Amino acid sequence: MKKTNVLIASMLFAMAPVIITACHKSDDSSNVDVAQLKKDIISDAVNTVIVPSYSDLSSKAAQLLTAVQTLNTTTTDENLAACQALWKSMRQTWEQSEAWLIGPVEADAIDPRIDTWPVDFNELEGILSNSDVLNEAYVNGLEESLKGFHPIEYLLWGQDGAKTAAQFTGRQKQFLLALTQNVNTLCADVKASWAGGYAVKFSTAGASDNTDYPTSKSAYEALVDGMAGICDEVANAKMKDPFDAQDPLQEESPFAKNSITDFTNNIQGILAMYQGKFTSDGKGVEDLVRNYNLSLDNEIKTKHAAAVASLQAITVPFGEAIISQQTQVVNAMAKINELADALNTKLKPFVQQYGV
Amino acid sequence: MRVGKKYKVCLIIVSSVALVQVACKKFDAAYSNPDSEWLSGGAQTVYDQNSSSFSHVFPVLPENLERVHEIGDVQFEATFVSAPARTNPGRGPIFNNVSCASCHIADGRGKVAGIGDTSVLMLFRVSMLGENPHGGPNPVPGFGDQLQNRSNLGVAKEADVNITYNDQTFYFDDASSYKLRFPTYTVTNTYTSFPSNAMLSPRVAAPVFGLGLLEAVSDADILTRADENDADGDGISGKPNYVWNAVKGEATLGRFGWKANQPSLLQQVAAAYNGDIGITTSVFPLESSFGQPQYDNLNDDPELTDSLLYAVEFYVKTLAVPVRRNLNDEIVKQGKQLFIQSGCASCHAPDLKTAVNVSFPAISNQLIHPYTDLLLHDMGNDLADNRPDFKATGNEWRTAPLWGIGLTQKVNGHNNFLHDGRARSLLEAVMWHGGEADAARTKVKAMSATERNALVKFLESL
Repeated sequence: MKKTNVLIASMLFAMAPVIITACHKSDDSSNVDVAQLKKDIISDAVNTVIVPSYSDLSSKAAQLLTAVQTLNTTTTDENLAACQALWKSMRQTWEQSEAWLIGPVEADAIDPRIDTWPVDFNELEGILSNSDVLNEAYVNGLEESLKGFHPIEYLLWGQDGAKTAAQFTGRQKQFLLALTQNVNTLCADVKASWAGGYAVKFSTAGASDNTDYPTSKSAYEALVDGMAGICDEVANAKMKDPFDAQDPLQEESPFAKNSITDFTNNIQGILAMYQGKFTSDGKGVEDLVRNYNLSLDNEIKTKHAAAVASLQAITVPFGEAIISQQTQVVNAMAKINELADALNTKLKPFVQQYGV
Repeated sequence: MRVGKKYKVCLIIVSSVALVQVACKKFDAAYSNPDSEWLSGGAQTVYDQNSSSFSHVFPVLPENLERVHEIGDVQFEATFVSAPARTNPGRGPIFNNVSCASCHIADGRGKVAGIGDTSVLMLFRVSMLGENPHGGPNPVPGFGDQLQNRSNLGVAKEADVNITYNDQTFYFDDASSYKLRFPTYTVTNTYTSFPSNAMLSPRVAAPVFGLGLLEAVSDADILTRADENDADGDGISGKPNYVWNAVKGEATLGRFGWKANQPSLLQQVAAAYNGDIGITTSVFPLESSFGQPQYDNLNDDPELTDSLLYAVEFYVKTLAVPVRRNLNDEIVKQGKQLFIQSGCASCHAPDLKTAVNVSFPAISNQLIHPYTDLLLHDMGNDLADNRPDFKATGNEWRTAPLWGIGLTQKVNGHNNFLHDGRARSLLEAVMWHGGEADAARTKVKAMSATERNALVKFLESL
């Protein structure tokens, strides 16, 4: 009960200065056309960040498919290494895009089909030892824990992360090909669902007939929620669950030993969205923040850099780090949570006030 | 859906921003009232109207309990795999989905599969004529009381269900038309013969927020609204369901599920784990496939520990309710009057009060606005599933809570309503109501286009 009273009291105190500000008229001193900027930020979030990210993902998926086809006909260590490199490259884009899990990726349940953890090893081994015909349609009918990034990762790297081309069985190659075809189709689907309608829906936030985003503010909120959401996912689930359990087998990309890179890309995605900058540089929420509150902009960038640096300070694969580099792991979770706090408690109210 | 631990603080700030807007206007007596109808969930209302608005922890909750909620949150999202495995083992052998969150996406409402798709975010209860020893549905030999349309590798799924719709055109009194789609469900791909006289009841995944508050309403308060034989002659019955309580070992008041066939959140959660994912718990330690050829013969039950089961129960118990929107809008106000005048509020009761609970103050003594009486009503032949469920007849359904319903499009990307998602808009859902609600529907049918719009705007503000 006491805590509640304190909370309410602090809420009232917090409100007082806000009320004073809110009742003043707006007195923008800059020459920036803020109304236009606000529109540009939303449309650039779509056209310079989200849509290009899925285009990139889709084109990398197509490249991986070609590389896997090559591996199937010419099974050499070199061709295996090419597949592994492309998997990691694709993973880089995907993990960044997890800072904007908005729209069709979630609503059409594409995310779980591309990126479900854990893998169902019993069934994966079962498929490799049965006589089912392995093709894209077969994979499409499989459970989510049997398709997407991680079964592909398992086939490319093996349980101990040291797979060689000579270890590939014919059946593994067939399954790898079918899995990659399936991922390629799903990535093309995400790209198409944004390009084919959702992009317009999001960038026309506030239009009178827009039921998904009836106000400009709601689109801004969705962007900030996406950024803050991935912080929470990384710090309090992807890192915390294996750490609390002290169980390296709960790590998300264990075979490629790619988890720290995954986490870093997740956090990098936040900056990409904040700055409106993926392959090309557009207007981002950053530009609106800088127009009103330079110190908030500085705080977000500082905390973002600290979060990335804290991840980079972990020098062994994550599955080992939860045992041998616990100080660094705990620090990284704390730094990511600090970034999340800034996004949730400062940037979110900011866009609610100014993103209208 | 995970929502940041410190997000609570943000929500309070958001709430102050909302208050600021009021502060610059005239004093608003309604808003200043702690029992204000803005606050659908009483003190446990959150200020969010976006895609994660169903996914927030109670804003007033001690930090240690918030951590339990988070553990439940992770578990709610956990994908189960076949046993044995290090992480989340025990799925199947037959099941409908792989995690809680894969049907209750963003803690919200399941979307109906498109034409030709096999159903995913809904499931089908089945039974034969008669009752089981506890007065519940009589299972179908070889299928149990639910069709599992997925299975582990090398195991036969029970069946698929094909859905087809037949559009029919109807007219409002002002001669403008509307369409309702009448579904037909056909059981196919059965692993063994499915009795032709088996009864089939489709059920869409329901939103899971606010449930702790609904559970906190006392039986006595629910029963004061009951009028099973319509003694007051208003055409509205209100019938309590009494269902088997597996924990207490006796029949108690049912309040969850489309037919109020679950007595508590714990049993609701445990039943869903068992029937939908194939995960056994201490409440239901027997696999759903027990006695069928799919049974796994593994001595690994219960597959989920009590600590995780209770954490998931606590998670759904402590999901907050989103705040109302546009309450001061004149059209919304008009819609509310029409809602009441048409008699909708007779069953969709706006106000309930949770009981005093000294051991769990977070849900104690709150005035809430769920728009349900938690009782069964005859909804007419068109909506009937013709499958009794304890005291609920084939025509009876529990009044669905309406709080948060206006955010369905935002959270779940669709506007499919009713137990099987057949309604494609709120207005269609209204026009499906029959039976005891026939008089109310007739009044809506007689409304002008402006009035119908106002009614929908009101529903969207919930």
